[in-house]
Amino acid sequence: MIGFLQNLIDALSLGSLYALAGLGIGLLFGILRLTNFAHGDFITFGAYALIVPSLDVMATKFIGGWPWYLMLPVVAALVVVMALLSDLLVFRKLRQASAPTLMIASFALGYIIQNTILMVYGARPKAIDMWSNLQQQVAIGELRVPQLQLVTIGATVVLMVGLSLFLGRTSYGVQMRAAAEDFRMARYLGIRANFVIGLAFAISGVLAAMTALLFVSQTGTLSHMMGVPLMLFAFIATVIGGMGSLVGAVVGGFAVGFVSVMLQAYLPEDLRSFRDAFVFTVVIVVLLFRPSGLVPTKALAQRV
Amino acid sequence: MLEIDNIHVNYGRLQALRGVSITVAEGEVVCLVGPNGAGKSTTLAAIAGGVTPHAGSIKLQGRSLVGLPPEAITRLGVSLVPEGRHVFATLTVAENLRIGGFQRRDRGGAAADFERMLGHFPRLRERLQQPAGQLSGGEQQMLVIGRALMTRPRLVMVDEPSLGLAPMIVDQVYEILLSLRRSDGLTLLINEQSSKRVLQFADRIYVLRGGRIQLHDRASNLQDGKAIMEAYFGFGEQPAPATGSAALGGVAE
Amino acid sequence: MNDGRLMRFAREWWPVVSLGLGLVLIVAVVSQLGGDQTSVTLTEMLIRMVVVIATYLFIGNSGILSFGHVGFMCIGAYAAGWATCNPAWKQLMLTGLPVFLREEEYPFLLAVAGGGALAAVVALIVGFAIMRLSGIAASIATFAFLAIVNSVYSNWDSVTAGTSSIIGIPQVVGPWEALAFVLLSMVVAFVFQKSRYGLMLKASRDDEVAAKASAVDIVKVRLIAFVASAFLVGMGGALYGHFLGVLTVDIFYMGLTFITLSMLVVGGIGSLFGAVVGVLAVTLVVEVLRALEAGITVGGNKIALPQGAQEIGLGVIMVLILLFRPAGLTRSREVPWPFVRRGAKPAGEPAEHAQPAE
Repeated sequence: MIGFLQNLIDALSLGSLYALAGLGIGLLFGILRLTNFAHGDFITFGAYALIVPSLDVMATKFIGGWPWYLMLPVVAALVVVMALLSDLLVFRKLRQASAPTLMIASFALGYIIQNTILMVYGARPKAIDMWSNLQQQVAIGELRVPQLQLVTIGATVVLMVGLSLFLGRTSYGVQMRAAAEDFRMARYLGIRANFVIGLAFAISGVLAAMTALLFVSQTGTLSHMMGVPLMLFAFIATVIGGMGSLVGAVVGGFAVGFVSVMLQAYLPEDLRSFRDAFVFTVVIVVLLFRPSGLVPTKALAQRV
Repeated sequence: MLEIDNIHVNYGRLQALRGVSITVAEGEVVCLVGPNGAGKSTTLAAIAGGVTPHAGSIKLQGRSLVGLPPEAITRLGVSLVPEGRHVFATLTVAENLRIGGFQRRDRGGAAADFERMLGHFPRLRERLQQPAGQLSGGEQQMLVIGRALMTRPRLVMVDEPSLGLAPMIVDQVYEILLSLRRSDGLTLLINEQSSKRVLQFADRIYVLRGGRIQLHDRASNLQDGKAIMEAYFGFGEQPAPATGSAALGGVAE
Repeated sequence: MNDGRLMRFAREWWPVVSLGLGLVLIVAVVSQLGGDQTSVTLTEMLIRMVVVIATYLFIGNSGILSFGHVGFMCIGAYAAGWATCNPAWKQLMLTGLPVFLREEEYPFLLAVAGGGALAAVVALIVGFAIMRLSGIAASIATFAFLAIVNSVYSNWDSVTAGTSSIIGIPQVVGPWEALAFVLLSMVVAFVFQKSRYGLMLKASRDDEVAAKASAVDIVKVRLIAFVASAFLVGMGGALYGHFLGVLTVDIFYMGLTFITLSMLVVGGIGSLFGAVVGVLAVTLVVEVLRALEAGITVGGNKIALPQGAQEIGLGVIMVLILLFRPAGLTRSREVPWPFVRRGAKPAGEPAEHAQPAE
C-alpha cells in the first residue's frame, strides 16, 4: 500500500511536468491551431539560460545561482522573449498557412534552437545542481516524499489556478478564450489579433520556463536534446486529453505521467527499459477507442 | 457615410464580386437582396475587413478601409453581425456581451451600454451566466446584435438576420434593429433573402446577382415587387402572382 | 502503335521518364568525373532519395505529415543487416535473434526485400491505429512512433547490440545500385499517384467531407499509402546499412528525420519532381556548408564556419522556404512536357496542389 502511494505521488509529480508542458502547447494550439514542436526547445533554452555558456561538463551556474525570486522572473522573461521572437520571425507570416506547414515550421525552429544550443554549449550532457537541498525527504505519515516532488506538484497547481483565473476573470483571458473559439469573430469585435496571439506565446513561454526549472531540479542534467522527450510526451498528453482543450491537456498530462510511473514500478525488470515504448503503445490503444481524446471538445469537428 | 466604389473580390479563381458600388447615407436603412452566392456576404465581409478587394475602394466618411485589419475597422465604428450568429458558445452570455466593449476607451460608457443592451433584450438578463451555446436561435440573434452594439458602432451590418429563425422571432429582431436605429442613431446595412421584409423596412434596396448589382432604387419605388423579382431571378416577364406582393414573402432559394 | 497513342503514352509517363533519364545522366557524369569521396556522397544522396520519394508517396498524396519514416528506415536497415552479416559474429553478439537469422547468411537482394517487408508489416499494424486519427493527431503519433523505434532498438541489446554497433555488413551498395532502387521507387510512387487509390487519397486530402460522401474509405486508402511508403523506406534503410557497413541506432533519429523532411519541403511536398529536386538541392547546400565548416583558405587566412553551422543553415533555409515558397522549388508541380503541339501552348502538368493541405 505504501509502495502504491509512493508511486502515486511520483505519478502526480511527473504528471505535473507533462501537464505544464501540455498546457503550453495546448494554449497555442487552441488559439492558433499551431502545433508547436519547438516548445520542448523553449524549455531547453530556459534550462540552459541558468548556466554560463561554456563547453564544460560541470556547469557553472549563472542565473541559476540567483535567489529564486530573481531567477524565476528572469528565466521566464528570457523564454518569453524567445517565444515572442519566434512568433515575430516565423509564425506571424504563416497565419494563413496549413497545419502541416506550421508543423514543419515549428519543427525547423526547434531544430535551429537545438543546434544553436549545441554549438554554444557542446554536445556532452552537463551536470547541474539546482535546489538539490529539496531532494531531502519529508515524512507524511509513513511515506517518505522528496520535497522536490511536493514543490513540483504545488507549483503546478499554483500555475494552473493562476492560468484558470486569468482566463476566467480577466478581460484579456476572455478575449483569449473568444479568440480560441472563433478567431475571426473575435476580430470583428475589435479584438487585436496580434495582441492576443502575443499573449498566448508569452504565457506559453512562462509555462515553458517553469517546466524547465522543475525538470532541471528533478534530473540534475542538461542536454541539448532534453526538450524532445518532454515535447513528445506533452503532445501525446494533448492528443490523449483531447486537442484544443486546456482541461484535456492537463488530464492527458497526468494520465501519461500515471501510466509511465506505474509501468516503471510494475513492469518486470527486463522489460523496464522499454517503458517508453509501452507508454506510447498504451496511448495508441486508447486512441483506437477514443480518437478524439478523453475530454471531447467540439473545437475540431467539421460541421457537415 | 459609406461609399463602396466598383470593388472586385476573388476567392482564388472564383470572382465573387465584379464591380459592386454601393452608398449608404447616415441614418439610412439599406438592404442587399439576392440569391445565395450572389455576393451579399462577400460585400459585407469586404467592408468589415474579412476579405480584401483587389480593385475598387471602400470609404467610410472619406477614409479608406481597404487593407485595414478587421479589428481596426471595428474601432472606426463599423460592426458586422455575420451570418449564422457566431456566438462564443463556451463563454457566458455576459462575457459575450462584454467582449464588444473591451476595446473601448470609455469604461464607464461600456458599462452603461451593457445595462442598456440588457434593457433592450430582457431575455438575456435572465441567462447572463449561462454558456451562450445553450440559448435558442432567437436569443442568440439578440445576443450577437447586442454584442455588436457594444462596440459603439455608427454603421451596423447584419448578414441574414432571419436565417433559421421563426418568422415571429424575425419580426422581433427587425423591430429591435429599427428602434435601435432611432434611439442610437445607427445606420443599418442588412443582407436579406426575403424581399417582403426588405420592402417593409428598407429605405433603399440593392439587388445582387452573380457578383453584380442588378437593380438599385428607393424601396418606395419597388413596392410591387416585380422589378425585384426580375432582378433577383434574372429573367423577364413573370406571370403576376395571385395575391400581389404578399406572395413574395419568404422568397428564399 | 500509331503516333497518337505513342504520344499519349509518352506524355503520361514523361514526369517519371524525364527524372529517370536525368538521374542516370547525373550518376554517369559524376561517377566518371569524381573520385571516391564524390562516389560516397553520391550514393548517400541516392539512398536518401529513395527514402524521400517513399515519404512523398505518403505525405504528398494524403496531406498528412509523417515524422516516422526514419523509424521504418531503422527497421529495414536492421532487418537487412541481420540477414547478411557474419553468422559467427551474430551468434556471439546478437543472441536474441531468431535462429533462422542468427545462423544463416542471406543474399543482398533478399535481405533488402526482407527489410522492406518487415517495415511494411509494422506499418500495417501501427497504421491501423494511426490512420484513424485526425491529420494533426496522426502526425504527432508518427513522431511518437519514431521515438518508440528509437527507444526499443536502443534497449534491445540482444538483438540490436543496443547502443553499440552492428558491424561487418557487406558494403555492396554503390551509386548504380542505389540508382536502381531510386528508379524503382519513382515508378512505384508515380503508379500509385495515378492509380485509383492515389486519386481517392488526394480527394480526401483536399476535402475530407466530400471524399467521405463519395464513399471513399479514407482509413483504408491512407493505410495502403502508408504501408507502400514504409516498404520503400524500409528498403532504403536496408540499402543504407549495406552502404555504411555499420549500423547504430542513433543515426536513425532527429538529424536524419530533419534532413529528409527538409529535402521534401525544399523541393516541393506535393510532387515527385519536388522530392527529387529537393534531394539534389539540399545535398548541394549541405556539401557547401560542410566545406565551409572545414574552412577555406583565403589569402593565407583560414575562414571556417563554426561546427553546427550545417544544421542551423539547413534549418534557416527550411524556414525561408516555408515563408516565401511554401510549395517548394518546383511549386509542387511535375516535370512539364516541353514540346509544343502545333498551334497550342506548351502545357505543364496541372499543379496537383499548391500547398500541403490540411
